[in-house]
Amino acid sequence: MLAAGFAGFPLVTARNDLLNLGIQIFLAVALAESWNLLGGYAGQITLGHAAFFGLGALVTRTLWVGGAPLSVALAAGALVATAFGVLIGGPAFRLRGAYFAIGTLGLAEILRITVGNLMPEISTIPVTALASYDLVPRYYLTLALAMFSVAVVAVLVRSRVGLGMQAVREDEAAAEASGVGAFRHKLLALVLSTALAGLAGGAFAYYHVSYYPQHAFSPAWTFDAVLIAFIGGVGTVHGPVLGALFYVIAKEVLAVQLVEVHLLIFGVLFLLVVLLLPGGLVEAWSRARRLITRNS
Amino acid sequence: MILTQQLILGVLVGGLYGLAAAGLSLTFGVLRVLNVAHGELLMLGGYGTFWLFALWQIDPFLSLLGVGPALFVLGLVLYWMLFQFVVKAHEEARIKNSLLIGFGLTLVFHTLAIRLWTADERAVTTDYAGAVVKIGVFTVPLVRLSSLVLAFAILTALHLFLAKARWGRAIRATAEDWEAAALMGIPVGRTYLLAFALGTALAGIAGGLVSVSYSISPSIGIEWTLKALIVVVLAGLGSLFGSFAGGILLGLAEATSVVFLGGPYREVVGLVLFLIVLLVRPQGLFGDRG
Amino acid sequence: MLEVERLEVSYGALAALHGVSLTIRPGETVALVGPNGAGKSTLLKTIVGLLVPRAGVIRWEGIPVSAEPPHRIIERGVALVPEGRRLFARMTVRENLELGAFAKRAQRERRAQLERVYTIFPRLLERERQLAGSLSGGEQQMLALGRALMGLPRLLLLDEPSLGLAPRVVESIFSVLAELHREGMSLFIVEQNVQAVLTLAQRAYILEGGRIVGEGEGQRLLQDDHVRAAYLGPLARGASS
Repeated sequence: MLAAGFAGFPLVTARNDLLNLGIQIFLAVALAESWNLLGGYAGQITLGHAAFFGLGALVTRTLWVGGAPLSVALAAGALVATAFGVLIGGPAFRLRGAYFAIGTLGLAEILRITVGNLMPEISTIPVTALASYDLVPRYYLTLALAMFSVAVVAVLVRSRVGLGMQAVREDEAAAEASGVGAFRHKLLALVLSTALAGLAGGAFAYYHVSYYPQHAFSPAWTFDAVLIAFIGGVGTVHGPVLGALFYVIAKEVLAVQLVEVHLLIFGVLFLLVVLLLPGGLVEAWSRARRLITRNS
Repeated sequence: MILTQQLILGVLVGGLYGLAAAGLSLTFGVLRVLNVAHGELLMLGGYGTFWLFALWQIDPFLSLLGVGPALFVLGLVLYWMLFQFVVKAHEEARIKNSLLIGFGLTLVFHTLAIRLWTADERAVTTDYAGAVVKIGVFTVPLVRLSSLVLAFAILTALHLFLAKARWGRAIRATAEDWEAAALMGIPVGRTYLLAFALGTALAGIAGGLVSVSYSISPSIGIEWTLKALIVVVLAGLGSLFGSFAGGILLGLAEATSVVFLGGPYREVVGLVLFLIVLLVRPQGLFGDRG
Repeated sequence: MLEVERLEVSYGALAALHGVSLTIRPGETVALVGPNGAGKSTLLKTIVGLLVPRAGVIRWEGIPVSAEPPHRIIERGVALVPEGRRLFARMTVRENLELGAFAKRAQRERRAQLERVYTIFPRLLERERQLAGSLSGGEQQMLALGRALMGLPRLLLLDEPSLGLAPRVVESIFSVLAELHREGMSLFIVEQNVQAVLTLAQRAYILEGGRIVGEGEGQRLLQDDHVRAAYLGPLARGASS
């Protein structure tokens, strides 16, 4: 129902600022859901998510600016991101907990610095494409991507594979002992997660007029994903959606007043969520509903 | 020639890497908690030293006597407010939650610093800032040399504390087996508190030395957290001097890469080494535990 | 001295102790025997504060202590020599012993008590500067016992002191325990070597499946048919090999 409302939106208004806001929300949803898949459902906290977002952006941008059709560019971006994920998945999953997290962070940083060194110039959409630049298709693309990522997670949650992932999250040794192949499930989560992240990166590359290639590898994207997933409700289907709405809109509101203050507030909120309300906004919402129904 | 000069500089910065890592190693080794906001604490210490100098002209090396205790108190507060809840869980959940808490703290401190002090780079420039010691044909900046010596001295003092003092031994015992330590009558919660505050103080002192030997800005937080992590992984847990040696090793590796690969890849070398050691020998080169 | 009343302890959803009650009077040596998994270690851990009971009370000299943290209970005069000894392997013999006297009450007597422990276990003095992890099984048990004694306990809990030790070593450990008993220390010993412990103890409890199923004087239980059948047959053979 929400999606339908969003879909109908551009028909009602042509206000660019609102369309931009929508695109940012949808990108955030996709990014957060992709992280949520690996970090929230499979329980593998990764701090290197930006690597896959960046790879998707890099490949898509290069191909699309070079003349390839958008669909090909997007697919290639997702493919490269996934391939990289599979490549590192084997060795990466030998690390546990903390080491996995910082290992992935280290990897993302290596990529960022290398890309920054090899491609220091800003990447701009060629003038010809700029003339026909239109927000509306980008709006629908990102909307579709957001819906797709939510759908993937929703389907996964109910499936046997998804339950296996959650078993691994709760207690890997126990899951392994009861026949759930931990490595297989973690790898699958990684593949799906990186594919979605790569697509999100590709959409980002399609959307932004100009940016520095290394910017897409910045740890800020990982942080955004983690923040949104947790504040919204990590390990739930709709948590990242709520979180993305809240995050992007609050960011817009606060950005008017002070630079970067939104991160301060979100940082504190994040801490509160981790300590007091692990279910995030989703949990707050369901608790509020129960309170209301009990009192009515 | 150039290589040797760079290697000397590498050793000098490596000592600070080691000091920063020692603090992280202490908290990780004792509480099994990975505080990824460690670099931010270092950054705060750096700003403390900077402002004490900028406002009241207090010599930076002297101001460490204030910055150290101040960060120690901050560590007490952070443990009391946040990390004490994390240690109640068992190991896997503990590390996961501490990662998240550290992550949240990083954001908070980082943006707070930008708000309060802007994103500009600062450095403490004393009268003797430019002084150098000449060893043959090589120049060694005096301030950096003093920082190295001071870092080593502090680690030695800490080592003695852990080896001989009642509470120092309690920390070591708790790090090895907290239940057995509890059976000795050691209050485990208080030991954790002490270890965490000490680790924070070490970060603050390292930050102070960074502000006078190099420069600081709000963004050095993440940078130094990564450096400390790299060294902890390189050197392993369980030895302060191991951390120091690991720091020097990182400094040397970076210096070598600067000479042969050029400046832009300086950070990459450390990270690559880091990943290799993580995969091949997770317990580190000198450590006794993974 | 120590009163345990209707203690209920669970690991999550798994109940380990059901309504366990027992008493230990000053100067007594009491044994706790029972099959593996009966909950004997759980009981000791709960007494010393490492576990919190779901229900029931533990009273030390009349004061309820079930909710107190371990270090508080140690300060009161209880010590536990845990199963598997749990020494600090990376620290020296002497450091291990000195850590045993961490409690403020024991700190004052540290030097004197160290002398005493070295007198009881001269081997430890020989190996003073060695890392605890490099000692033999028997030496490690001596160190664990000596470390517990450094805390000046009035009640000493022991969890399987003879585990993994050669018979001669077991003999010497038990003779030390007998000496401690003669000097007035209260002992509560969980032991698989029923022969050795029932000879030493005045009284014993039998714990099976988390419940106390029997109690009696040490010597009499040694003669009891059920006890002999359940614990003495194969174990008697094992103890003499």
